[in-house]
Amino acid sequence: MLEQLPALILLAPLFGALLIGLIGLHDRRACFPIAFTALIISLASAIGAAMRAFTGGAYNYFIGGWEEPLGIGIVLRVDALNGLLLIAIAVVAVLAVIFTIRPSSEKDTDKTAYFYILFLLLCVGLFGITITGDAFNLFVLIEVSALTSYGLVAIGTSRRCKMAAFHYLLMGTVGASFYLLGVGYLYLKTGSLNMQDINTILTTNATVAQSPAIVTAFILILVGIWIKMAFFPLYGWLPNAYSYSPSGSSCLLAPLMTKVSVYVMIRVMLSLFGLEWVFGHPGWSDLVVWLAVIAILAGSIMALAQREIKRMLCYLIVAEIGYMVGGAWLNDPNLWGLTGASYHILADAMMTLCLFLFAGILFKYHGVSEIGDLGGMFKKMPITSIGFIVGALAMIGVPPTCGFFSKFYLIRGGIEGGHPEYVAALLISSLVNAVLFFRIFEIAYFGKNPAAGHSHDHGHDDHDSHDHDDPGDAVTTAARPMREAPVYALIPLLAAAALIILVGIFNGQIIELIRLTFEIPATVVSNLR
Amino acid sequence: MSPKIFASIAVVITGIVLLYGISDFPTFGDPRSPANSGVEGGAPSTSLYYINESYGVTKVPNLVTSVLADYRGYDTMFETVVVLAAGMAIFAILRSTTKDDETVAGPARKSSIDGDHNRIIVGMTCRLAVPVVQIFALYVVAHGHYSPGGGFQGGVMLGASFILIALAGNLDDALGRFSEKSYMALASLGIIIYAGFGVVPQVLGKNFLDFGVLQKILLTDGPEMARSHSMLGVEIGVALTVMSIMFAIFANLSSRGTLKGGL
Repeated sequence: MLEQLPALILLAPLFGALLIGLIGLHDRRACFPIAFTALIISLASAIGAAMRAFTGGAYNYFIGGWEEPLGIGIVLRVDALNGLLLIAIAVVAVLAVIFTIRPSSEKDTDKTAYFYILFLLLCVGLFGITITGDAFNLFVLIEVSALTSYGLVAIGTSRRCKMAAFHYLLMGTVGASFYLLGVGYLYLKTGSLNMQDINTILTTNATVAQSPAIVTAFILILVGIWIKMAFFPLYGWLPNAYSYSPSGSSCLLAPLMTKVSVYVMIRVMLSLFGLEWVFGHPGWSDLVVWLAVIAILAGSIMALAQREIKRMLCYLIVAEIGYMVGGAWLNDPNLWGLTGASYHILADAMMTLCLFLFAGILFKYHGVSEIGDLGGMFKKMPITSIGFIVGALAMIGVPPTCGFFSKFYLIRGGIEGGHPEYVAALLISSLVNAVLFFRIFEIAYFGKNPAAGHSHDHGHDDHDSHDHDDPGDAVTTAARPMREAPVYALIPLLAAAALIILVGIFNGQIIELIRLTFEIPATVVSNLR
Repeated sequence: MSPKIFASIAVVITGIVLLYGISDFPTFGDPRSPANSGVEGGAPSTSLYYINESYGVTKVPNLVTSVLADYRGYDTMFETVVVLAAGMAIFAILRSTTKDDETVAGPARKSSIDGDHNRIIVGMTCRLAVPVVQIFALYVVAHGHYSPGGGFQGGVMLGASFILIALAGNLDDALGRFSEKSYMALASLGIIIYAGFGVVPQVLGKNFLDFGVLQKILLTDGPEMARSHSMLGVEIGVALTVMSIMFAIFANLSSRGTLKGGL
């Protein structure tokens, strides 16, 4: 059965979703156990499948047994890079699903079953995007994950989240269409959809590789993915979609959707077109790094202007996307930038999960969504605060959290690749993060507890705060007195905080695994530490 | 500057990029184009393989079906999941069971096709048309691997037949024949059937969706006929999901999620 693990990663949540469709509508209490079990099976299979890739190198899983000739069927391909990401997705999904348990005092709503079906199908889509070795299959699974995420954003009760979902739907559809158009151009010139096959053609057949159609295909695919990952000028949908969506949804969406898109970009550069082809075009690398610099600075500055916690985190995501895109395009000789970007996918998934869980806890149990309302938090909610502090320090980049190490590798790549502007942007952004989070620390430590009554005087009228509702959580809008969150909300938060530190401490091993995928000469790998 | 200027600039740039890309496209219908006969340096052409080999391996005369349901059946399964996900997203947004909208159901009930003499022509036509539509839909599903057709097309027709009932009479007529419980169950069941045809080979020791090994269960002459029969099976699964979701989306949209009254 071990060789079936790559397929099992997706099949467990798929069957979980279908099972909820069959019985979840009648018995809503069955939804959570089914979802949790399915995701645990996924996690176990992901670890098993990834371990095989770590020890034995990359391997293929041929759907339907169609091996020869290459490309007639669809192939799943596991290597060290996506093995790590598969584990990360499964971990985030398990922790996010634990957060969706509702307190016994709150009743289930009509939408519980739909929520869990969409949640699990989104996981199917993300696993599928990560594991596939087929350019068209990637599009199909982008569609699965996109449609489910529109549903997860719109499932809240407010009007604002519906508008946000609609905006997201328009932008997401444009992005997916660009990707599909690019794959079409690619197919016209290569006659294949298999990534390995296309890569072989582009590396061996120079006339095809240099044709305008292939260049156009690359640009279309890249722009499509950039829209999906909210790269700076194309980020418009993200802040509303993630900040107005229910906490249960945003804890899954925010850590994973954009990060998986970054992975897709790296996969396209690395395994579809090949780094030599991509960096063989003079000027591209510089252009994209400058775009990334603008993204980092713009994201950080906009984050400074926010008063709501979730919105601030959303703009920080825009900046983090800039880190990863810039890092991947640094084109430094030892590929430290690409390594750092890949590592930062994992690191940022954990950091975003941690901070969005924190924002979710505050909103779900205390009705607090603004930074100014956090006064006295450290005293009243010490355990929640620990999780938040770890996440915040990781965002700033303090060792031994993973945020420090990803910045370390990215800066190393920036220096070796000769991009001082990127290094400067990274440092400025870290500084801005420090300002942002220490401002929150100050309010949380020294500020007065506003729960006594003035918490609603912050420019939000009552109607607005009504809007900010959760389907899962049936929140009352008045800020309740702060006290420690329930255990099932603290478990995922503290686990995420622990993972931030673990990913940081074991950065050497993770980097080594990532660099296995890049086929870098062994001498460079051994110089690592 | 108004946003329209940015939009226009984006459109012009996209147009230029697309035109640049088509400058060296293969000519239309060229049998030697990469998509038709492969490229130097790559794997042998998949198109030629499908044309030359697929009938022998799958015993399905319709090449489109054999590519869709077998070689790339994994894609098709997720296309069906996309349909399901779209339906679930729509229900998640629209469906509500609050009792405020009861009033809508009252007067609309009169115009049922069951024994309503004011709409006898519409009702009778509908009664005659629906079975024909459904039988033709079943033919399209069952004949998908011999002629154009298949699960998506047949499923759409089946769904349309229920929508016809709802349009001719009212939504309650249609829901009386195809209730929310049954369409939710059938929508999931369709993909369970599809994925089941993939998982059973895994239990038998082959890869996901490797239909050939099902000859032990389907008791066919060889793996080829097992593939052919399995394709029929997955088409039926697709048809169930598409039919249910089609009708369910109509029912939810037309009644604003209350499933009462409707148009």
